[in-house]
Amino acid sequence: MQPFGWVTYPSQRMIESAPGVGVATERGDRAAADAETADVALAASGDGRAFERLYRVHVGRIHSLARRMAGPEVADDLTQDVFVRAWHKLGTFRGEAAFGSWLYRLAVNLILAQRQTRNAEPVRYDAGAALETAQAGAVEPELALDFEEAIGRLPDGARQVFVLHDLAGYKHEEIAALLGIVPGTSKSQLHHARMALRGYLDR
Amino acid sequence: MRDQWTDQLSDYVDEELADAERRALDAHLTGCVSCRVLLEELRRVRANARVLPDQAPDRDLWPGIARAIAPGRSARRALAFSVPQLLAAGVALILVSGGAAWIAARRPIQARATAGPAGAPTWGSSPVWRSEAPYAAAIAQLEAALDEGRKSGTLDSATVLALVHSLATIDTAILDARHALAADPASAYLNHHLADTMRRKLDLLRQATAIATPRT
Repeated sequence: MQPFGWVTYPSQRMIESAPGVGVATERGDRAAADAETADVALAASGDGRAFERLYRVHVGRIHSLARRMAGPEVADDLTQDVFVRAWHKLGTFRGEAAFGSWLYRLAVNLILAQRQTRNAEPVRYDAGAALETAQAGAVEPELALDFEEAIGRLPDGARQVFVLHDLAGYKHEEIAALLGIVPGTSKSQLHHARMALRGYLDR
Repeated sequence: MRDQWTDQLSDYVDEELADAERRALDAHLTGCVSCRVLLEELRRVRANARVLPDQAPDRDLWPGIARAIAPGRSARRALAFSVPQLLAAGVALILVSGGAAWIAARRPIQARATAGPAGAPTWGSSPVWRSEAPYAAAIAQLEAALDEGRKSGTLDSATVLALVHSLATIDTAILDARHALAADPASAYLNHHLADTMRRKLDLLRQATAIATPRT
């Protein structure tokens, strides 16, 4: 059952990734973006229902990010933490970027910060880590890991760089700043992650 | 498979190689089938990543989030941002109109006498108190309510600081208006300005108190 006051609008990702849309669709997207802007303003003033609508639109993207960055076992908790943090920080949202982008960035920062406090073992970003782990943990063909699952099998450092670069669209300089590494290490990790994932294409 | 060429292939895919490196790799790719195959695989990995669908969680996480942001827990968030922003906006308006009052109070009496309709007093012989009277009681009541919130810890320190600072600025504007009226009690503009400043203070206090009240 949909909650009271529910409105449907596409996520920012859908809006941003819809090339060649017709005029009617553009109008619909604009209306959706306006609705989202209104919901952000309402939520910032304390309207929980407006914030729930924002949650419904963006939860898939945030949960997927959390699952890919930190693993399925903690994805639910991280997603909840992201939205609770977003609620408390809505007053700092200036509308300079789309709300979805702001939320996504907040999620990345929170996931990385919590990962550092959760794991006692430091993340390995050395050049060989991705390939070594991928090869050591190579799965038998009959297990038929799909591409998504294979991402989850990457070592932490390579997985984080791969998700941030190839899925989230971050640049190496941004990733380096986020992870406390140099851009060259980010590039190297990305290459190794891609090399390890070649075997899971078409699955 | 690691050599000088394969290690550059991801950068090649992302178009991040320097011109000279790209030209050298282009030349190598012309004659190396295995590198061309690898390059195509890396491109497909990147393409696959870009179209991976997002997936919602198996269970609805909203109830847990709703509990965490429930009124009472969220009051501090709203106060921390909304009240200072609200007060800052109101103070800015008061300062602008206060500047106009300052200028008006320093214009020659004769010039002012010809500016309005006969320069007649609008509120009689005690214009200052008549301007403030409609608001004084409500303002006192709301100030007491906010003071209570301050003492009980309902308001966080950052909000209290912003509140005190903003109210002090408004009170300064009110004092300025009173002084200007003392020099020119018949000025309709100054009487309006004082009443308007009082009304704005009242509005701000009302809104601040409303935000401080737990929402449902």
